[in-house]
Amino acid sequence: MKLKEYEAKAILEKAGILIPRGILVKKGEDFLVSPDIKEAAVKAQVEVAGRGKAGGILMAENARIRETTEELFRATIKGVPVEEILIEEKLQIQHEYYLSITIDRSKKAPVILFTTEGGVDIEEVAQKNPDAIKKATIYPLLSAVPGYTLRYLLNGAPGEIGAVIQKLYSVFRSKDALLAEINPLVMTADGLYAADAKLILDDNALARQGIKENRDLSDRERQAAAHGFSFVELDGNIGVIGNGAGLTMATVDLINRTGGRPANFLDVGGGADRVRVAHAVRLLGSMPDVTVIIVNLLGGITRCDEVAAGIIEAGVSQKIIVRLAGTNEAEGKALLSSKGYLMLDTMEEAVTAAVEAAS
Amino acid sequence: MIYADKNTGVIVCGATGNQGSFHIDRMNQYARSVGGRGVVAGVTPGKGGQEVHGVPVYDSILKAARAKDASAAVLFVPGSAAGDSIMEAADAGLELVVAITEHIPVHDVMKAVTYAEVRGCTVIGPNCPGLFSPGEISMGIMPAHLATRGQVGVISRSGTLTYEVVHELTRAGIGQSSIIGIGGDPIIGQTFADALERFADDPLTRAVVILGELGGNLEEEGARSAELPVVAFIAGTTAPAEKRMGHAGAIVTGGEGDANAKIMRLRDAGVPVADRLSEIPAMIREVL
Repeated sequence: MKLKEYEAKAILEKAGILIPRGILVKKGEDFLVSPDIKEAAVKAQVEVAGRGKAGGILMAENARIRETTEELFRATIKGVPVEEILIEEKLQIQHEYYLSITIDRSKKAPVILFTTEGGVDIEEVAQKNPDAIKKATIYPLLSAVPGYTLRYLLNGAPGEIGAVIQKLYSVFRSKDALLAEINPLVMTADGLYAADAKLILDDNALARQGIKENRDLSDRERQAAAHGFSFVELDGNIGVIGNGAGLTMATVDLINRTGGRPANFLDVGGGADRVRVAHAVRLLGSMPDVTVIIVNLLGGITRCDEVAAGIIEAGVSQKIIVRLAGTNEAEGKALLSSKGYLMLDTMEEAVTAAVEAAS
Repeated sequence: MIYADKNTGVIVCGATGNQGSFHIDRMNQYARSVGGRGVVAGVTPGKGGQEVHGVPVYDSILKAARAKDASAAVLFVPGSAAGDSIMEAADAGLELVVAITEHIPVHDVMKAVTYAEVRGCTVIGPNCPGLFSPGEISMGIMPAHLATRGQVGVISRSGTLTYEVVHELTRAGIGQSSIIGIGGDPIIGQTFADALERFADDPLTRAVVILGELGGNLEEEGARSAELPVVAFIAGTTAPAEKRMGHAGAIVTGGEGDANAKIMRLRDAGVPVADRLSEIPAMIREVL
């Protein structure tokens, strides 16, 4: 789950990293700007990539902070409405650095990225000047970054950045983060500040982090998650139900290749039974654009008669095409064909039939 | 076959839970049908002394391993405890741990996999269907009836996609030597490269199917170092960027891990990649 900038900064501040002076304003709320703030960055708290370029960050001198904030509340950033704004004192920048910690899959370890060329898009630096980015993996059994790693990363940059790296690494570990990023990390006359911060937490660790609900999900995705489904909305008209992420993804791919347009990705997970299948079919049935639903379930222990009963029980108006393999296949097939549903033997046949029915 | 055989004594952790108990029964049905040892002990802390489908349950992996001369474990414990179980298995001196469990926090996996590695314990998974060698052993949840013994190895990041391909291979008359689900999480124990290395040393295996997904670059890394002929399939070619499709491994960030870019890199390395699952049997025949 992505945290908002102000949430991420609150966590960094607790860990002892300096953050700019600022206030959080909610839409419709009144607020006071301290008169000693000469100039401020007015920042929309939206999770949009390239927020600054999309007009989500405006600079304003003291007298114009209020109207700039109101102006930003009226805007949408890449289609996302602005509900919260962080107003922060502008820092007196001496230098900008980039610092992040994420996970290196092939090394199976945390990896720290640092460059003295901060403040810009890191992908740009990676393309134009890859040697400027210092990269070091940390042995996962260590609870702190070793001194030799810090020296390698800094490569002559001011030593006090080492303390910030150490603090960010402890946040990365204790918060179960997949990404902890400070960009830019700003050197000022009175120390290093996290001018912008990003934290993405591991969805599998939200419970032990005390987070009840994953905000990254849409309403329908949350409804699906409550049933234990993995669900992603796409923009086509063929509803897709599968079991297992790989098979469901491959079904979505095959529909696209065959010239159809999938409306979603829905993985019912293990143990597809009557109740779960009925919920899944109803969920897709409630999507207005869906005209055809394909159910592609394969498992050794999936009981086809149960699944068939669930499909029939859901009673949705859309056409349903079924591909089932498991136990009691013949019973399932008989049950489905008695109610006029089409059941096919292979994934290719089922997808072809669904694409034809949807066009 | 690789990693384990008929003579491997298996411990199931999380033995008294629904999943654990159900799959002990299935794994032992298979073991009986091929004359293997199968699951010889279960572990659930605090429930030592009980029995599950005739299998004795112990309080710890060490106790179970000593009492029953077991060298491998299959984990069905909850995600919050699975990292600890992997480390416990490594401490008990087991050679192999297959972690079926999904939703383990990734920081736990990083730590546990590293810990097991330094103790010489091989980890398959997590978030995987396990290991299946037709005619030898079932260590996990793969349906036995789809597979048939033969010369083709299968390595996959996904569960049901594996069954689909095994089904297609069997229908085409192509048997399998071992089927390994390496798991769909961002951090996993055995990678494509590791499993391919094992297959290279296996006298039975003559070619390998690798079933990958968008995310990471383990498929390319593995295929590049493969000694045996390889045929690949990559799921997620039409997944929208920045959307998650179930697996945590399926996050597309920038270019790296993008399924189409991955296919390009595989083809550049000379690996045949199937556009459709149904093409795999014919492509395997070609390389055999």
